[in-house]
Amino acid sequence: MTATPASDLAPADSSTEQNPPIRIIGLVCERSVELENRLNNDDRLLDDPSVKIITVPCSGIIQPIMMETSLKKGAKGCFATGCRMGDCHYREGNKFLQERLLGKRMPKLKPSVNKHRIEAYWLSAVEYDEFRDLIESFQATVDRVDADDAAAS
Amino acid sequence: MTTYVEAIQKHVVLPLEKATNRIFTQTYNPFYYHGALPNLFLWVLFVSGLLLLVYYQATLATAYDSMKFITYEAPFGNAMRSLHRYAADGMMLFVLIHLFRVWFTDRFREYRILPWITGVILLTVMFVVGLTGYMLIWDADAVALTNITVNLLHAVPVIGNGLAGFFLGADLSGSALITDYTITRILVLHLGIPMFMMFMLWMHYLRITRPVTNAPTGLVFLMLSGLALFSAAFPVVLGEAAPPNFNVALDPITFDVLYAWPHQLGVAGWDPALIWLLTLAVPVGLLIVPYLQKKAMRGQFAQVSKDNCTGCSLCYADCPYEAITMVERNDGSRFKKLSIVDPARCANCGLCVGACAFKAIDIPRCDSKDVLAEIELALANQ
Repeated sequence: MTATPASDLAPADSSTEQNPPIRIIGLVCERSVELENRLNNDDRLLDDPSVKIITVPCSGIIQPIMMETSLKKGAKGCFATGCRMGDCHYREGNKFLQERLLGKRMPKLKPSVNKHRIEAYWLSAVEYDEFRDLIESFQATVDRVDADDAAAS
Repeated sequence: MTTYVEAIQKHVVLPLEKATNRIFTQTYNPFYYHGALPNLFLWVLFVSGLLLLVYYQATLATAYDSMKFITYEAPFGNAMRSLHRYAADGMMLFVLIHLFRVWFTDRFREYRILPWITGVILLTVMFVVGLTGYMLIWDADAVALTNITVNLLHAVPVIGNGLAGFFLGADLSGSALITDYTITRILVLHLGIPMFMMFMLWMHYLRITRPVTNAPTGLVFLMLSGLALFSAAFPVVLGEAAPPNFNVALDPITFDVLYAWPHQLGVAGWDPALIWLLTLAVPVGLLIVPYLQKKAMRGQFAQVSKDNCTGCSLCYADCPYEAITMVERNDGSRFKKLSIVDPARCANCGLCVGACAFKAIDIPRCDSKDVLAEIELALANQ
């Protein structure tokens, strides 16, 4: 049996070879912050490969269970990104998601979910710099929550 | 491929709003209430117009004098006139912002075609309301405006004389003159068309669930105080009285750019046929514009799973375009109602998917089960 050269494996298995483990899952509205040329071929942020991006047509499509699943399956944090409040292309998507995450609209985010690990950003397509800063501070928040959880257990 | 709409949105609309967000914050950004602000000005116009009507007299002999009384003697008369004038300009300004914003953010076609068509009709009739408002003042400018309008109506092929006669409130032979009936007719147009506008506004909102008809209180106060300050700083004045013979052409004067630009072209000596073509090109062009672009999602709409739908009505409540109806079901299911999607109204946006806790509704381009699977797969690999 001949060993397969690592170089042959690399393209098929690039996520584990080059990328760090996923810490944060981002559910991003395709009309909010523009991530074209900002992602690698595994949909990780080039500026922070521990963030995996899943693009959706509107933040209003995001079900709270998607964010709950992300945390349950091992992500340390999960954020959603929609357009600026008042500027949803489909009128009410970002408002509805916000209300679901705040527990004001059905289906709601489960109360048992640690809210520090859930964030939502409202940004327009031209606001990538703001987006990057928010991710940076979310990483710091997640670090603190991890430290708190470790101390508690 | 980037369309012109996408390019303008990315390079003009969004950077402009990013800048205005710094000043107003996203809660009070006037660009996010472009549809509600014309309504605010419409309210100001209704109230101030009602008060102007108390003193206005629609006869040739007394119209100008009653305007003089309103402008210089009646308590708050000048304030009401100023508010009425500047609110009309403010309304047209925000209607234009509304128009260009929905156009250049691609919110004017397919499932939004009814609001667009009724919007173009509203813009057109609003133009006539504004124009007749300027005529009612009946000073020299107003009489000139009326005469130019009559000339433009005469220039319409075949039915021109009839139109002019109708407008003048006289016989349709083509030799009609300005009489008392004319000024009554102008007043009827100025007061009657807004009733039609109310009906059109209802149609404008028909396919929209929870239309944003009011701006937030802070923005309302800002706009109203801005309007009041502007009215106080630049109170309207009454022009000179027109010469006794109302039917002669007067010297060129300056009109309102928003409402009387075709007349300004008439004063500048343009051919009436050309002015008509240019004026009609605006609404006709706006009606054609939505059909010049390729449909974004031909034939795609939300799909309901009969097996999973529990008839809970959450998608029905959340749909922003009234595309979902709940119907009684008699297919032996233990649930009483079923969600039905109207393909022509569906925006394919997925807000119903976000509302569904039973995996019962999905849009073809983004299945909620696929998103969940993608999350699980990504996290399982590590």
